[in-house]
Amino acid sequence: MYRRIVAAVNEYTNSEVAARYALALARACRAPLTLFFVAEAGMKAEAFRRAEAALGRLFREAERQEIDVESITERGEPFAKIRDAIERNRADILFASTRREDLEKRFFQRTLAKALILNLPCSVALVRVVHMGRVSPKNILVPLRGRMVTIKEPSCFVAKLAEAFDAKITLFHLAEPIAGYFHGAAHLAALRRESGVPKDIESFAECLRRFDVTHEKKIRYGDIAREITIEAAHKRNDLIVMGASERSLVRSIMGGNPVETVLRETPCNLIVFKPWLIADRW
Amino acid sequence: MRIQSLSEADVYEALITNADGLQDEEAARRIDEFGPNEIRGVRRKPLLFRFLSHFTHFLAVLLWIAAGLSFLSEYMHPGEGMLTLGFAIIAVILINASFTFFQEYRTERALEELKKLLPFVVTVLRSGKERGVHACEVVPGDILVLSEGDKIAADARLVWCAGLKVNHAPLTGESEPVSRNAEPCDADLLESGNIVFAGTMVMSGSGRAVVFATGMMTEFGRIAHLTSAVETGLSPLQKEIVRATRIIATVALAVGLSFFSIGFFAGRSFWDNFLFAIGITVALIPEGMLPTMTLALAMGSQRMAKRKALIKTLTSVETLGAVTVICTDKTGTLTRNEMAVKQVWYGGKIVGAHEVAKEEAEELLMAASLCNNARYVERRYRGDPTDRALLSFARGVLGEVSEDRIQEIPFDAERKRMTTVHRRRTDITGPSGRVFAYAKGAPESIVPLCTKVLFEANVLALTDEMKTRITGAAHSLMDGGLRVLAFAYRDLGISYHEGSVESDTVLAGLIGLEDPPRDEVPEAIEKCRNAGIRVIMITGDASRTAVAIAREIGLVRAEPMVIEGHAFNRMGDEELKEKLTAREVIFARMTPKHKMRVVSLLKDEGEIVAVTGDGVNDAPALKKADIGISMGTTGTDVAREASDMVLLDDNFATIVSAIEEGRTVFENIKKFLTYIFASNIPEAVPYVAYILFGIPLPLTILQILAVDLGTDMIPALALGAEKPMSDVMKRPPRRVEERLLGAPLLTRSYLFLGPIEAVACMCGFFYVLRGGGWTWGETLAPHDTLYMTATTACLTGIIVTQTGNVFACRSDRASVLDTGLFRNRLIFWGIAVELALQFFIVYHPVGNKIFGTAPLGLNVWLFLIPFAVVLVLSDEARKMIVRRRAPGQS
Repeated sequence: MYRRIVAAVNEYTNSEVAARYALALARACRAPLTLFFVAEAGMKAEAFRRAEAALGRLFREAERQEIDVESITERGEPFAKIRDAIERNRADILFASTRREDLEKRFFQRTLAKALILNLPCSVALVRVVHMGRVSPKNILVPLRGRMVTIKEPSCFVAKLAEAFDAKITLFHLAEPIAGYFHGAAHLAALRRESGVPKDIESFAECLRRFDVTHEKKIRYGDIAREITIEAAHKRNDLIVMGASERSLVRSIMGGNPVETVLRETPCNLIVFKPWLIADRW
Repeated sequence: MRIQSLSEADVYEALITNADGLQDEEAARRIDEFGPNEIRGVRRKPLLFRFLSHFTHFLAVLLWIAAGLSFLSEYMHPGEGMLTLGFAIIAVILINASFTFFQEYRTERALEELKKLLPFVVTVLRSGKERGVHACEVVPGDILVLSEGDKIAADARLVWCAGLKVNHAPLTGESEPVSRNAEPCDADLLESGNIVFAGTMVMSGSGRAVVFATGMMTEFGRIAHLTSAVETGLSPLQKEIVRATRIIATVALAVGLSFFSIGFFAGRSFWDNFLFAIGITVALIPEGMLPTMTLALAMGSQRMAKRKALIKTLTSVETLGAVTVICTDKTGTLTRNEMAVKQVWYGGKIVGAHEVAKEEAEELLMAASLCNNARYVERRYRGDPTDRALLSFARGVLGEVSEDRIQEIPFDAERKRMTTVHRRRTDITGPSGRVFAYAKGAPESIVPLCTKVLFEANVLALTDEMKTRITGAAHSLMDGGLRVLAFAYRDLGISYHEGSVESDTVLAGLIGLEDPPRDEVPEAIEKCRNAGIRVIMITGDASRTAVAIAREIGLVRAEPMVIEGHAFNRMGDEELKEKLTAREVIFARMTPKHKMRVVSLLKDEGEIVAVTGDGVNDAPALKKADIGISMGTTGTDVAREASDMVLLDDNFATIVSAIEEGRTVFENIKKFLTYIFASNIPEAVPYVAYILFGIPLPLTILQILAVDLGTDMIPALALGAEKPMSDVMKRPPRRVEERLLGAPLLTRSYLFLGPIEAVACMCGFFYVLRGGGWTWGETLAPHDTLYMTATTACLTGIIVTQTGNVFACRSDRASVLDTGLFRNRLIFWGIAVELALQFFIVYHPVGNKIFGTAPLGLNVWLFLIPFAVVLVLSDEARKMIVRRRAPGQS
């Protein structure tokens, strides 16, 4: 389970909203929470004041929820300072909000988000806030790949989030259609689709069952990103939790990057989650 | 944190704002974070790329290679006509790509129509001051200042309001305004009374609301997102075209390569082999197939337009024929949407509308008249159809009633009732001045408010026994297909207090309204039943009313599966799918937001679904369905733009007519494909003979193209315009596995009709050669008159037999005489044009020059004509055998 959680806060509203997910997870895991603000060189006083105010509001909220919370403000280069804080505090997971550059730069190249996901010695939950009125998710959409590098941590992360918000989970898998060159894509009846649920997703569901989290499984075919956003919009999901992209730059250029597309077109708040594979706590 | 359940202070905290609103710089920063408040579509492949994709599929690539090699051949062996061939092949690619793109193309204007529902300028509170800003500059945390007539720019939580009523029609389809308040509540966001939504409009009152969602994150944006992102996928016909194209391309390539190899081992030169390979490939590819199909679909859509069904995407014409389920609204589509009071319950009895006694039913009539938003102006009733019917009925019995309305609690789809409060100037005993509350609504909403009932002119306590009698009366009316409304009143005395009006009321009676079915609907439903198409009714009415109407129009015969809106919301997908397998299904007490789920689940089960809709929030379901059908008369522009077909008369029977036309189109496409494919064999056989027997090439590539893209097209189009067979709506929908290019079609074309034509053209070729003194093994120069005359005879052999083939292809089993020789006059026009083109090719110098032909003598024509007769008679014999083997089948 998560033993220490860090939430990166800055002067932007969405970082404050994103940190509220960290609060909820800290409450569910009974883990200490560090609210961490790094003031970059040349930051304007007004921006500094806003970030401090956000820290204050979050701190008070955490205290109200009886979370063991600390608030730290440092000056310097954000990535280096965050990494130091993670290592110093032996934190298990960092919550950070996306920035405009994450949406503008193709495939997250040379963005802070990419640096955090690739280089921090902990799990990372990158939060894109698009809806301020649905920060308490009641139904969470979790798109899953057929084969996952690790199952335990992502499933526990999702289960704890669901527990924190008393939310229902929909496990959503986009399968390759069964198609022949001459016959085209075959239509599969529900039973055959259901029997095609990959083993990793069954394991994921099993883990949710252990946490007693209400969930259902869905299999669809089609364009991955498009189907995810359609499902979320259709079913009025409050939150999408999906794994960070494992596609290389070349593969992203050739075949697109679903995480990037969902990040741009998400109809609800989104957490892009990167588990820390070396951890032994699971 | 649920925004609707927070106190005012918590709303400000949650949205990081305050009662004075945001400061300008904070608002600017939030635009940077959350983006502008605007509706935008999801990213799609640009139109140009979509067009270009038609140049890169397998068949197109094959043709590009052929064209490239032709140009290379021209470069290495100039003057052999390969340049013309190269250009001809490129023309074929261009023609096919253009026609396929034209088939698929449709303008996506639904989003543009949605955008029109949002305001341009709104008033917000910034730094404590009201100011007008562009709607796109509104951000989460902004405070909207709302007043009558305002369009609302974003989803917002009310923190203060006075008499605020908004029209939620774009979101719910309900045209009645709903009242809003600023109190925290625990309902779902959509049902919360303290939320206002983007795209809706303030009808009266004023208020202030804190924005929590903008742009695509609003409920309105959600509809826009779904409307823009949802794709039906390829239509059944498009899938078949892809499949057919792949089969043809593979066969052509395989045959081309095989004979190239044979020629190579037989010792022919590379260029001879190459010419042959190109020729056989071109011969086996039906170049005219896609243009003919597109034109046939266009003609089909024109025929549908004459039957009041406007088709927006060409391939939808055929998709209609494949429909297995129709999900249809009731009011206005199955019924006339002309409400009239038919029966009334009061004083313990049910009486006809014309038997109501004024004295006995005065309070009921007063309630029907006063708790009503319709008006009688210039000798016409204006307003909602239900209110119009009630006012007309009450006015007819009671006369003109006009009392001051001092309060109104508007109709609300969730509450299912409306209440008005009036100070009455008079009552039955004379001058009054007393205040009365009148309520009307669904019986299950009104009866629980009542403690008394007006019964046989006495006000009695509403006991359980009495409630049972009232429920029985309501059910009795509903079972007659009537929409039942209950009416109650309360005498509030001289002084009255808001808040106490909807309790302790007296039930005045029940009124049953009839919305008669359209006359054509029962027959259309019966046609659907015979055609194996399930019809699912989706209505906001109570289940008993829905079932009664369904019985009246023949939609249900046994006990149907009735699913009500509240149960629908609770059901999981699998449970719902199970219920949807029932033969007769009715959805009652539903709202448009449920439709898309129904459509998605049916499609998951492999059904081809048509769905009707008219509201803004129907747009996603219309897009999702295989065929979205909007209402031309009552539908919104958004629904019309999102749909594939517009019903110009809003009539269900028109859908069935369109399906009939769609089924005919599929049959007709098979007919003309048989026709087109048959001519591929006489085009290919000359090349095989050329390579195997060393004879002069009997047919040039340009002559093949003259058939495929010229003479064949108009007769094929005529076959595409065949009228529906009498049994077309007595067969089940075609199975998903049924192929356009199935084995029976290919066998008939390639192994029966085609070989007869091949014999004709080869006989014609040799008839001319032998008549001209040619001896076996003798080579002829390309410009030798004898050679050109012989190839012309070969080409004419194909044309002549194709004229007979048109008649043969009108049916795959019915005799030419039984299909009605003059039933399709276009056939004769087609043949006339075909022959005119052939005369041009044979006898006009320009035709001779382009196609390398020479004039033929009458003897050649007379030699060839009997082959057409043989073809028709042979196919008649085949049809007779087929009919004997499988009598009664279509």
